[in-house]
Amino acid sequence: MRRVAILGAGMVPFGKYPGKTLSEIAWPAVKAAIEDSNIPKKTIEAAYCGTALGGMMSGQRILKTLGITGLPIINIENACSSSSTAFREAWIAVAAGVYDVVVVIGVEKLTKFGGGTLPLEKEDFEVAHGLVMPALYAMRARRYMHEFGLTEDHLAKVSVKARNHGKHNPDAQLREPTTVEEVNRSRPVADPLKLFHCCPSGDGAAAVLICAEDVASKYGGVPINVVGSEINSGKYMTGFRDMTSPEITVRGAAQLYEEAGIGPEDIDLAEVHDAFSIAELLYYEALGFCPRGEAGRLIDEGETSVGGRIPVNPSGGLLAKGHPIGATGVAQIVEIVRQLRGQCGDRQVEDAKVGLTHCTGGGVSGFDHGVCSIHLFSR
Amino acid sequence: MADSVQELKQALNITGDAMVEKSDGSVRLVGSKCSACGDWIFPPTPVCPECMSESVERRELSEIGCLYSWSVVRIAPKNWKTPFVAGYVDFPEKVRVFAHMVDIDPECLSFDMKLSVCKAVVGQDADGTQIESYSFLPAEGRN
Repeated sequence: MRRVAILGAGMVPFGKYPGKTLSEIAWPAVKAAIEDSNIPKKTIEAAYCGTALGGMMSGQRILKTLGITGLPIINIENACSSSSTAFREAWIAVAAGVYDVVVVIGVEKLTKFGGGTLPLEKEDFEVAHGLVMPALYAMRARRYMHEFGLTEDHLAKVSVKARNHGKHNPDAQLREPTTVEEVNRSRPVADPLKLFHCCPSGDGAAAVLICAEDVASKYGGVPINVVGSEINSGKYMTGFRDMTSPEITVRGAAQLYEEAGIGPEDIDLAEVHDAFSIAELLYYEALGFCPRGEAGRLIDEGETSVGGRIPVNPSGGLLAKGHPIGATGVAQIVEIVRQLRGQCGDRQVEDAKVGLTHCTGGGVSGFDHGVCSIHLFSR
Repeated sequence: MADSVQELKQALNITGDAMVEKSDGSVRLVGSKCSACGDWIFPPTPVCPECMSESVERRELSEIGCLYSWSVVRIAPKNWKTPFVAGYVDFPEKVRVFAHMVDIDPECLSFDMKLSVCKAVVGQDADGTQIESYSFLPAEGRN
């Protein structure tokens, strides 16, 4: 397998664009990534587009706008991990020597559903019985609070941190800081979760340009190396499952760390899938940033804030940057690229050398999560 | 007028073949037990996910399960009457069931408490048809 690098990254600010089509939302992100890379668009040999709900041939609809056609365009659906899956597939193709230069897109337009919870597949038995994502995370939260003594204030502190980071990110959907009191007073959604414990719904797009390492050297710039890529489905469990420890992330992280020869102690920052405040806390433990049961201490002591031992979600994460689901995986990678290049201004993680992205997807009964994709990057 | 039309409509049962009503009016959940490897699955399935055997038989689950976690859900697609109480209930057959708890005060719920299954109206379709499914109640005298 060849080594693969990212040469260009771009995204549009996440937000609500009900008046724009999916393509209108996405093309500026793709153009930004290509311009950032200095690679002529004619050099691009293939495109991978991740979207969960964008509809048929999203990649073609986006890329015709920029005249990037007559090449393989692969559209990928994998729920909230759609574009991290697209990135993984693109990485495999370049690493295997099939292509030298590939563009990866993540895109979603959730405003077309008019708000509310994420529409899940009605054929699913639990979904047919009224399961919604906030309820699932609420049950995780309640059980974790019971087993490990976590409080509502701990949950609130995750949201406060996310907003504190997001206020420095011009691409974030929510940039107003908040307080523990304000989070605790926000509207109940699924007890114990309040509105401010939940990521906002919205639209957005992100793109990266990846290439073989030897090609990267021809175009200058600062290549960001892909040093590990992992994807897994959850294990189907019809019976008991421990909802305080996300098995797919624990398993995936262990596998990736072993393959990459990098451990959690080597990581300078992480973008993790904080769709709900409780999720981020579970991932501190699952990714090995702290031992089991200590996630509350980590957020209490500020270790996961920018300036702390292991900054998590310096972009603001899903809670502040927003979560247009199919766009999230690539948007996380865009943040890591910018951090490793030192381009992040007031939210810059000092001397960041190794970054991790972690993206899950759920909503199918019997799986703790249906999919999880984790990537490691270095400069 | 509209009301009388609705009364004639049969409630929509969303459980498929996962629930049976007994002659005494009680309700039991039904899963599949694999004749080859002994695994239980809920809801019933024609093939065992453990060993792929199609030799599975429909079997009633125990009457009582234990509450793993729950939530008072305040936002949901519009055919659900919010807020509703729902949770995961673990059965001795090693299956976990997501269910509404319709006539229950969430304040009285506790971790691992024993619950028994019943039938209830859990929502309403867009055209006013009531949606029926299984629900849970505290198992009298067993907690």
